[in-house]
Amino acid sequence: MQVSKYLFLLLIPLLFATSCKKTIVKETVYDEVIYQLDTLPVYSSNLEKNREKSDIQFISILYADLFGKAIAGNITGELSELKLSFGDKVILNQMVVSAFINDPDIKIPDNQQMRNDPEKFVTDIYRKFYLRNPTAYEKYYLVKLINEDPGLTAEHFYTAFALSNEYSFY
Amino acid sequence: MNRRKFIKNAGLITAGTLAAPYILPSGRLFAATGARKVNHVVFILFAGGIRNQESVKKQYLANQGLATEGNVMPNMLSGPQPGANLVYQPWNTVLNKPLQESGTLFPEMRYKQGPTGHYNGHTVAMTGNYTETGLNLNINPEYPTVFEYYRKHSDPARSALNAWWMSEGLGPYPSLNYSRHPDYGALYGANYMRPATTIGSLGQEYLSTAKDYQPDDVSRINMLRNFLDNNFENHAGPVSGIANNDEDRERIRSFVKGLLSGSNPIEWPTPTGGTQGLTGDLINIGAAWKVMEAFQPELMVINTFNLDVCHSNFSQYINFLHRADHGVGWLWNKIQGPEGAALGLKDDTVMILMPEHGRNSDPNNVNDNNGLRAYDHTSDANSRQIFSLIAGPPGVINQKQVIGTGNVPVGESIDIIPTIAELLGFRDQIPSGMLPGRVLHEALA
Repeated sequence: MQVSKYLFLLLIPLLFATSCKKTIVKETVYDEVIYQLDTLPVYSSNLEKNREKSDIQFISILYADLFGKAIAGNITGELSELKLSFGDKVILNQMVVSAFINDPDIKIPDNQQMRNDPEKFVTDIYRKFYLRNPTAYEKYYLVKLINEDPGLTAEHFYTAFALSNEYSFY
Repeated sequence: MNRRKFIKNAGLITAGTLAAPYILPSGRLFAATGARKVNHVVFILFAGGIRNQESVKKQYLANQGLATEGNVMPNMLSGPQPGANLVYQPWNTVLNKPLQESGTLFPEMRYKQGPTGHYNGHTVAMTGNYTETGLNLNINPEYPTVFEYYRKHSDPARSALNAWWMSEGLGPYPSLNYSRHPDYGALYGANYMRPATTIGSLGQEYLSTAKDYQPDDVSRINMLRNFLDNNFENHAGPVSGIANNDEDRERIRSFVKGLLSGSNPIEWPTPTGGTQGLTGDLINIGAAWKVMEAFQPELMVINTFNLDVCHSNFSQYINFLHRADHGVGWLWNKIQGPEGAALGLKDDTVMILMPEHGRNSDPNNVNDNNGLRAYDHTSDANSRQIFSLIAGPPGVINQKQVIGTGNVPVGESIDIIPTIAELLGFRDQIPSGMLPGRVLHEALA
């Protein structure tokens, strides 16, 4: 009788050790991904992008893409506040993008570079802004535009890409 | 049944079958056109929590143990200003006669349900539906806003350029330009601006250097964008906010740029027109006039908010109340003056004023530098007492009327939206059951 009592006491810790365990999965979400200048394609197709960027994500990524460096925390906060202050976000984005592009620190290829190798320019800009390669049709169409319209500038491309719907998604 | 009767009955049934699908929810066969009473409505949410004691009851310091009473809102209300114990700096009155004489005053309205919180009060006033939400969540309201009713049910449909929400503060207030109601939403929302940010220091920092592209540049950028957007199936959704068309967007962008650069200078609603004595409320009112000047919107909602200082500083509350009243008088003077006449606003605009809620009857424990006690707003009966002033042209709004008393209150917070709908001629097109309030017919001529 005494033996079975000690046996029972020994079994108690064993019972806890082998009982069901609640599995806890910790998911780390990277909210402010900063993509580097020479980004390799992340997406094989734009169909993979179905989530809209938050204001903070949009601003952080835009800043990194245009200036080639991570945005400072205070600038993110100030730009987020600014975006909150105006109803039509497209207008605000247009103004912020054009103000950024007007900044002397901005890194945009010059027009000669674009015209010397339009295919490379188109591929690079798709990788920079959309994190994917252009489709054959996209490349054909935009290269043709560059070749046929001498007034088209790299700045036009940067502005249009930054304001496009695809750039608002990930 | 003879042949003639059969043909007659068959004709009536056919006509009825054809007409039935076109009967509107209101029971009318056709949308009422030309029923609007004016073409412009400005709704000023005279917010921040204002007690009737210091506003329409003109008791000034009477509740602070001092005998001095008086009217600190001389542009809106009739009656002499306090003659002694001044805790505010009096400004010259803008209007020749108080706004009260150009309209109907409801001195005893009620905010009947829900917590007396600022965001909740704003939501009730702008949706015409009481809500129980006491939290200041940055989320669009459940019920449609007045902007959505206006844009969806006006005939012909109005662009967002005609509807503006001008807010003194940020926080959850940007969310009030449209609701999350499945039948309405951003498609029918209003343009929104918080001028102190957009054209303030942050706007100067980040927007003033925005390029002014030449038309050729704009068309090239748009052409590229259209190509890129056509190759992507998703559209920027609610995060993108209100949607204006390209032409309106360019007008708005150019307008903001003009304000930032100073090429379209802002006159502030202060005695000098400059920044001395300028408050957040007056910045909002001054910028609202610039919007009216630029676009002549048919529906604009403006709020004041600085009066919330009453939680801790009663003297400053009186001061801000006096200045906000000055701003209201200034704006009405602009609308009814030569500038408003040139823009087609004079005698075609109704201005409605109402606080979002009141404040408690009992003070809290905070005394200001003058030893005056402060007041919170925690949903007591006093904080549900509000007023409304509806001013406009004599043929549209009854003049010099006062409707309601403390014993017989008339009107509720939820009545303003139906009244605006009536004034702008779209009330009958709003589906039944959406607005529980009533039109304040007592004010309408």
